[in-house]
Amino acid sequence: MSIPLWAETLELLGDPDTVKVLATVDANGDPHAVVKKSLHAADDGKIHFLEILEASESSRNLTASLWFDRRVAILLFGKEGRQVQIKGKPVKYHISGHLFLDHYVKLRERLGDADLAGVWVIDPEEIIDESFSVREARHRAEHPSFIHLDRIAKPLGETGA
Amino acid sequence: MIALVKTNYRDEPCFDETLAEHPDFPRLIALKIDVQRRGVSYTERAQNAVDPEIHQLRSPYIFGSRDGEIKPLPESLLLRDGTTILTDPTPLDQDPYIVDHIDGRFALIDRGKLLETVELWPKPAYYDKTTTSGLPMSHIVTARPQRLNVFQSSFCYFWTEDQGCRFCDIVTHTKQQRKQLGVPNRLRPEDVRETVAEAIKEPGRFTNLCLTAGSVIKGPRLFDHEVDFYVELLQAIGENFRTKKFPSQLIASAFDEEQLARLYEETGLTSYTSDLEVFGEEQFDWICPGKAKWVGYREWRDRLIRAVDIFGRGNVGTGLVGGVELAKPHGFKSEKDALDSTLSEAEYLAERGVTTVYIVWVPRPGSALCGQKAPSLDYYIRLARGLQDLRVKYGLRVDFDDYRRCGNHPDSDLARLQ
Ligand code: SF4
Repeated sequence: MSIPLWAETLELLGDPDTVKVLATVDANGDPHAVVKKSLHAADDGKIHFLEILEASESSRNLTASLWFDRRVAILLFGKEGRQVQIKGKPVKYHISGHLFLDHYVKLRERLGDADLAGVWVIDPEEIIDESFSVREARHRAEHPSFIHLDRIAKPLGETGA
Repeated sequence: MIALVKTNYRDEPCFDETLAEHPDFPRLIALKIDVQRRGVSYTERAQNAVDPEIHQLRSPYIFGSRDGEIKPLPESLLLRDGTTILTDPTPLDQDPYIVDHIDGRFALIDRGKLLETVELWPKPAYYDKTTTSGLPMSHIVTARPQRLNVFQSSFCYFWTEDQGCRFCDIVTHTKQQRKQLGVPNRLRPEDVRETVAEAIKEPGRFTNLCLTAGSVIKGPRLFDHEVDFYVELLQAIGENFRTKKFPSQLIASAFDEEQLARLYEETGLTSYTSDLEVFGEEQFDWICPGKAKWVGYREWRDRLIRAVDIFGRGNVGTGLVGGVELAKPHGFKSEKDALDSTLSEAEYLAERGVTTVYIVWVPRPGSALCGQKAPSLDYYIRLARGLQDLRVKYGLRVDFDDYRRCGNHPDSDLARLQ
């Protein structure tokens, strides 16, 4: 199910200093992760990114995910350690038409003699705040017994021993 | 409301039942195959939503359509994964898929159920222009979403002896195009050069050029004149590029080594395809009598293999009219036998560096096999999977004839995962 992007996610996606990692798996389940600077929020509420290398592993894996209805993950790592993970499905690949041509022209204006293979569209289905403090609090609440006992032991001298 | 088409035109399992037998086969490619197999019919609502300013309407093509008419309908469709569906308008009584326009989008419908939203091919900018000689550029070079097609001449000498391939309607269609649209019989290199120059001004629109035409047996040696035409044309096209070689495919007769070397050395051509159309000598002799008479099955196959020494592994291919091996009365009687035979011959070629692709056989009205039916979707799925598995097994690429640079081969669509 497609969900709207949070304000914080939009902010992270729009910030040029955010590290954006796309993680995919191939048709046999082999994982692959790579930084994709061009991941961005588009007007249609989905996440788009520009594929420059037509035969890249990411593109191959996204094709497999689109064909077999599998999810991919995007990790955004922002300033001050903010981290958001988005899971979603690739739903479209633009290789021609207005949107593609628009990006093609802008990309070449920016990078010079670069090519653009296509524009992938990823439909966000789940957003998870992965900032460490949030994860830790969530973990503590869900698994209160996952703790080494020495961490909750009374300081020496306070025990009855 | 969508009109339901109730017909028993084909007695076979439905799309979902067939696909359920192939869980590792992409649904979108299966859908493409089935749409090619059954054709499409555009509702009035869809036809009204077509905007000739932005959508590519049907332009002159080397082969005809199954409704036998030339009408200003959309050229064809694009699926959301970038897959092209080359298909044509089909009479309703032949059980085509329906293309409708719903909530502002074009949609593929079958038996009242919306299967996929689709896009029409975008019209290239050069389609509105004319050459200096006054011809519409859309009549000189036609477009696919990412490729330019140059159909050098719409004539095939095999037809003059009534030995055209049995699935082919090139001459019937040529006459119709010439009469109704004024499309020239043979292209002038200068018109092609000028049109290509205009086409590639559009940024990001095209990734390769494909040249093809019917066979020309004339010349001091067999096919010499055909080679001359292509050399001249490719040299004219090459004037538009700053590199000697440019991504291109020639689909032509089975040339000898000297002719191939000439094409490779004197032009910017990067790949060579010569279609056997159907595998197996017996089938070939029946389906392609002209090719069989002038070259013969074994020699045609050997010429393909020798072309690998010139163009390199992964740059030589042959095309099949998939399914015609089951045509009546001399074709295989069972789909299993047809598949086994076809894949074993494809393996022979793959081992020697020649890749095989297929198109879905459409028994067109202007062809000798009109009125017959193409085999099942299951057959085409197995054929696509089998041909692609051979490419993987023998480490063969099909970059020059894939989903983007051609778009007419379900098997090479699968190469996107290779
Ligand atoms: S060689 Fe066969 S398929 Fe090609 S144009 Fe001639 S008759 Fe048609």
